[in-house]
Amino acid sequence: MLALMVFLPMFSAVTAALSGHFSRGRGRQDRDAHTGAAHAADHTESNAPYWIALASSALMLVLLAAAFLRPVPEFRISAVLSYGLYFTIDGFRRIYGLIIAFMWFMTLLLSKEYFHGHHNVVRYYFFNLMTEGAILGVFFAGDLFTALVFFEIMSFTSFVWVIQEETDGAVRAANTYLAIAVIGGLAALFGIYLLQNAFGTTEISGLYECAKECGDKKTLYTAGVCILVGFGAKAGMFPLHIWLPKAHPVAPAPASALLSGVLTKSGIFGVIAISCGLFRDDPGWGALILVLGTVTMFLGAVLALLSVDLKRTLACSSMSQIGFILIGIACTCLLGEEGTLSASGAMLHMVNHSLLKLVLFLAAGVVFMNLHELNLNKIRGFGRKKSVLQVCFLLGALGIGGIPGFNGYISKTLLHEGIVEAAHIYGWALKLVEWIFLLSGGMTIAYMTKLYVCIFAEKPGKDAAAFQAEMKAHRPKYLGVFGHIALIGAAVLMPVLGLSGNTLMQGTAHLGSSFFRAEELGKMSYFSLENLKGAGISLLFGAAIYLVIVRKCLMKNGEYVNVLPAKLDLEDSVYRPLLLRLLPGIFGPAAAVFGENKVLKPLCRWIMKASGALAQLFGENLVLKPVSKALVRASGVLSRVFSDMTDALVYLLSRSVLRPVSPPPTDEAENSVSYRIGNAVDRIQKRRGKEAEGSHYFAELFYRLRRTFVRKTHNLSDTMSFALLMMIVALTAVLLYVLFVHHFG
Amino acid sequence: MKISSAFLLPVILLPILSGALIQAFRIRKRKTVRIYTGAVTLLTSAAAWLMILWADDAPSILLQFTKDFTLKLRFDAGGRFFAGIVATLWPLTVCYAFEYLEDDPRQNVFFTWFTMAYGVTLGISMSGNLFSLYIFYELLTLTTVPLVMHTGTPEAIRAARTYFGFSLGGAAFALISMLYLIGGGILKESVDITRVFYVIGVVGFGVKSAMFPLHGWLPKASVAPTPVTALLHAVAVVKAGVFAVFRLTYFGYGTEILRGSWAQHLLLSLAVFTILYGAVRAVREVHWKRRLAYSTVANLSYILFGIYLMSPAGLTGALLHMAFHAEIKILAFFAAGAVLHRTGREYIFELNGLGRKMKMTFVCFTVSAIALTGIPPLSGFISKWHLLTAAAEENTPLSYAGAGVILLAALLTAVYMLGTVRTVWFPGKEQTIPENDASGKKIRDASLWMLVPMLILAAGILLTGLFPGIVIRHAQEIAETVRVTGGEF
Repeated sequence: MLALMVFLPMFSAVTAALSGHFSRGRGRQDRDAHTGAAHAADHTESNAPYWIALASSALMLVLLAAAFLRPVPEFRISAVLSYGLYFTIDGFRRIYGLIIAFMWFMTLLLSKEYFHGHHNVVRYYFFNLMTEGAILGVFFAGDLFTALVFFEIMSFTSFVWVIQEETDGAVRAANTYLAIAVIGGLAALFGIYLLQNAFGTTEISGLYECAKECGDKKTLYTAGVCILVGFGAKAGMFPLHIWLPKAHPVAPAPASALLSGVLTKSGIFGVIAISCGLFRDDPGWGALILVLGTVTMFLGAVLALLSVDLKRTLACSSMSQIGFILIGIACTCLLGEEGTLSASGAMLHMVNHSLLKLVLFLAAGVVFMNLHELNLNKIRGFGRKKSVLQVCFLLGALGIGGIPGFNGYISKTLLHEGIVEAAHIYGWALKLVEWIFLLSGGMTIAYMTKLYVCIFAEKPGKDAAAFQAEMKAHRPKYLGVFGHIALIGAAVLMPVLGLSGNTLMQGTAHLGSSFFRAEELGKMSYFSLENLKGAGISLLFGAAIYLVIVRKCLMKNGEYVNVLPAKLDLEDSVYRPLLLRLLPGIFGPAAAVFGENKVLKPLCRWIMKASGALAQLFGENLVLKPVSKALVRASGVLSRVFSDMTDALVYLLSRSVLRPVSPPPTDEAENSVSYRIGNAVDRIQKRRGKEAEGSHYFAELFYRLRRTFVRKTHNLSDTMSFALLMMIVALTAVLLYVLFVHHFG
Repeated sequence: MKISSAFLLPVILLPILSGALIQAFRIRKRKTVRIYTGAVTLLTSAAAWLMILWADDAPSILLQFTKDFTLKLRFDAGGRFFAGIVATLWPLTVCYAFEYLEDDPRQNVFFTWFTMAYGVTLGISMSGNLFSLYIFYELLTLTTVPLVMHTGTPEAIRAARTYFGFSLGGAAFALISMLYLIGGGILKESVDITRVFYVIGVVGFGVKSAMFPLHGWLPKASVAPTPVTALLHAVAVVKAGVFAVFRLTYFGYGTEILRGSWAQHLLLSLAVFTILYGAVRAVREVHWKRRLAYSTVANLSYILFGIYLMSPAGLTGALLHMAFHAEIKILAFFAAGAVLHRTGREYIFELNGLGRKMKMTFVCFTVSAIALTGIPPLSGFISKWHLLTAAAEENTPLSYAGAGVILLAALLTAVYMLGTVRTVWFPGKEQTIPENDASGKKIRDASLWMLVPMLILAAGILLTGLFPGIVIRHAQEIAETVRVTGGEF
C-alpha cells in the first residue's frame, strides 16, 4: 500500500509522458508561445497528459484520505540499494501525505489554464508527478537512508520545475538550485553514513534511543550538522536560503505553490527527524537551530518587505515562515519534556503555511497567466472588481498575517507561547527572540498589506493601465471554472481552520505529536486576552511598518522601488567566487606547474642535457677520444709488427721447408660426372636424330653451379655477422641446455 | 567442475593472434572485418566469462627462465573481478566502434590493435606474478600507442608520443621496484628502504592510473577515436594501472609493512590532491572529451584512495568504484563520441539545446552524469558511499580529509557534469537550437549500433545501483580474503 502510494505517481508520470508523446503527432506543437502564451489561438497540444495527471492526483487524494481510516502496514524492500528501503506511516506522515495529495490536486486543477499555450507541458506533467512520488517517498520514509534517496530524486525532478520557463533568470536560478541541492544532498549523505556507522541503523523512530546510548557526542554533532545542512538547504534555512528567493518566483505558479508549500517542508521533515530524534533534550542543539531560525525568519521578512515582485515577496515570505517553524523546533529542543506547545506550534505552522502558500501562489498564478508580469508596478490594480480573487487572496493574507480567527493565528500563538515558556528558563536571549518574533510577525502583516493594497486597492498607473488593457483584450475571462474551484477550495480552509482551534487543529497537533516526541496538546483558550495581546502587538508593528517604511521609504513618485543593492546578494558575492574562483585559484598554479609539464618536461630535458654533456666530456672528445686514438695507433703498430712478422715467417718457410707444390686444377671444366651426363644426353639426342652438343652445355652448367655455391658459402663464412649468427645459435643451444638441465635435472 | 587453468593462455592468445590475422589476410571488405572482429570479441568474452566463473584457481606456469623470472598465469578473485569488467564492456565498445568508424579508411588497422589490446588486458588480469604482470603491462603500452595516434593528425602523434614517454618512463620505475622485490637482497632488511621501493613501484604503475603529477598524458590522449578513449582511457588501460597498484600493494609488498607508514600517508595525500585537482581542472575545461578525461583523473584517484587506505572496507570501496566508474564513464564518453560523430561538435558551449535533437543519446548521458555525481539510486552512489564509510572507519585526519574532498569533488562533478546536462536540455530562451551539422545534414540521433550499447550501459547503471548486492558481495569477499603479507600472488 505504501509502496503503491510512492510509485503510483511515478508510474502515472511515465504514462502521461507516453500519452503526450504519442498524441503529439495529431497536431503541430505551438512553438513560439513565449510572450503571447495566453493568446496562442491555434493551440493543439494534446490534453491527455493533463487528464492523466489530474486523475492520478485525485486517486492519490482518495488513497491518502483512506489511509486515515485504515491501519497501513509498514513496508520494506530489502535488496535495493544495498541497505534496502523502508516505508512506514504514522500520524504526522498521514497528515502530510494528505496535504501533499491535496495540494497536488489543487495546483493541477489550475494547471490546465495556466499552461495553456506554453510549450514543454508534457515535460512539466512528467516531472510534476515524479516529484509527487518522490516527496511522498521522503515523508513515508521510515529511515533516513530512504528519505535521502527520495530526497535526491525529488531535488532532480523539481529542478525541471525551476528551469521550466527557460528564461535567463530561470536558468540561473536553476543552476543555483541544483548546486545547493547537490551540496545539501552530499552533506546529508555524509551525516547519514556517520549515523549508520555509529548506530548501524538510521531508522527515524529509533534515533532517540540510539543517541541516548551513544557516548560519542562529537560524531553525533558532526552527523547532525551535516544532515541539518542537507535538509535545511531544501527548507531555505539561512545561510543556504540563497536559492529560494530566486527559484520559487521563476517556476510556474502551480509549481511555486508546491515548492514553497511542501518541498520546503520535506527539508523541515529532516530537521525535525534529527532535532526530535538525536537532539530531543539538547539545549545546545536547540540554541543552534534557534539562532538559524531567527535569522531566517527576520531576513526573510525583510527581503519580502523590500521586494517589488509578487512571487518573490511570497517566496521570501516562505523563507520567513520557515524561520518561524524552525524556532518552534528549537524551543522544543530547548524545553525538552515541556516542549509540547512549541512542538504543536511548529507542526501546525507547517500545515498552515503549506495551505496558505497554496492559496497565495495560486492567486499569483492567476495574475501571471493574465498579465505575464509580476512586477508590482505593472500589476497594480489588477484585482479590482475581481471579487473571487480578492476574497481568496485576502483570506490567505489574513491567515499568514496571524490575524485572530484565521489559521495562522493559532499556530503563531502556540509558537509564541513556546518562546515565552522558554524565556522563563533561558532569560533575556529568548526575550530578544520573542521581540524579533513579534516584529517579524508585524513585517508579515506589512508586506501582505503592501501586496493586497497594490493589487486590489490602488489604481494602476498610466503605463500599467494601458498594458493591462492590452493584455485583457487577449483574455476576456480571467479565470475558468477549474481555477475557481481550486482557489475557493484552497482559501475556504483558512477561516475554517482558524475557528476550529480546539477541534480540527488540536486533532492535527495530536496526530503529529508522536513524531515530535511531544505530549498531546491540551485545550487552549486561543482568544484569551493574553494570547490576543501577541497578535495585537504584531498588528501594531505591522501598521507602523506599513505606514512608515512601505509608504514613505519604499515608494517614490507613487511607484514601488527596490532599495536592495545587488551587491548584498550572498550567492554572487560569496558562494560563487568561492567555488569558481578561489578553488581554481589554488589549483591554477599547481596546474601550471605540473599539469602542463612545466616541471617534468624541463626536468627531463635538463637530465638529457646533463647526460649529453657528460657524454661529450667522456665519450667523445676530451678524454676518451685521445685515449682511444692512442689505443688504435698502438694496436696498429702492433698488428703491423705482428703481421709483418707472420709475412716474414711465411716467406721464410716457403723458401725453406714448405716449398709450394703446384696447386690442383680447381677450374675443371669437365669432370667425370658431367662428362657422363653429357654423354648420356648426347646419346639420347642422337637416337632422336639430332645434333649432339649437350655434353658441353651440362658440363658448363654443373661447373657454374658448383662455383657459385663455393664462393657464396665462402663469402658468408668470412663475414662477421656469420660469426655472430653462429655464436647466437651456440648460445641458444647452451641456454636451452641449461634450461633443460634446470627444469628436468 | 573446474576448468583447468591451462586454458587461460588460449583465452589471452585468441584475441592477440586473431587481431594479428586481420593484417595477415588484408581483408578488403569492411563488413567482413567487422563480422570477424565481432565474432572474435564475443568468443573471447564468452571464454573469459567461462574462465571467470569456472576456472581453476591453481597457477599455470608458461615459461620458467629462472625460479624468480617465471611467466605464470593465475586467475584469482581480484583478477576475475577486473576481467569481468573488461569482458563485459569490450563487446559493447566494439559494437559502438562499428558505427563510429564507418567512414574510417584505416578501420582494419584499428581493429587489429583494438583486438590485440583485449588479449593483453585479459593477460594483465590473469597474470600470476609481478613479472608476468610487468610483461603484459608493457605489451599494453605497445598495443595501445597505435590506437592513440590512429587519426594520424599532428596532435594525435604528439599525444601518442607523450603517452609513450610517460608509459616507458613509468615502466622503468616499475621495473626497478620489481627487481628489488625479486632480488633485493640485503636491502630488504630495512623496512624504510622497502617502502621507498614500494613508492617507486607505485609511481611507475601510477602513470597508467594517472596519479598526479603523472596524469599529463590522459587528457591529451583524448584525441584518440572515442572507442579508445572510452574503453581504454576510462577502463582498460587506466584500470590496469590501478589494478597493478592493487597487486603491488597487497601482493607484492603487502600492506603489513605499509599500513600507517609515511609511504601510505604520502600516497594518500597524493590521491586526495589528485581527486581535487582533476575535478577542478574538469570544471575549467571546455573541451568535452578532455573534461571527461580530467574527470577520469579524479575518479581514478578515488579508487587509489580506497586502495591506499589499506583496509578491507577501503578495498571494497575501491573495487566497487572500479566497476561502477567503468560503466559510468564509458557511457559518458560514448555520448560525447556519438555527438562528435553526428555533428562534429566537441566543445561544451557548442552543445546548446542539442538534447532536443539527439534525445536518447543525451538521456543516456544524463543518467551517466547523475550517477557520476553520486546521486541515489544510481550506481555511483553505492561506491562513493562505501569509500566514505571506509574513510570514516579509518578515523585518521587524512582519511577524513579524503572523505571531505570526495564530497567536495562530488559538488564539482555536479558542476561539470550536470552543467553540461543543463546546457543540453535547457539552452535558455535566447539560444538558437542547431538544426544542421557542419556539412548541412540534419542532425539525427545516434544509430542503433551506438544506441544499443549506450542503453545497455544506462540500464546497467540503474540496475547495479538498485541491486548492487552481488557486486558488493564479491568485492567484500576479495577485500576480506586478500593477503596482507606480500610475496607471490
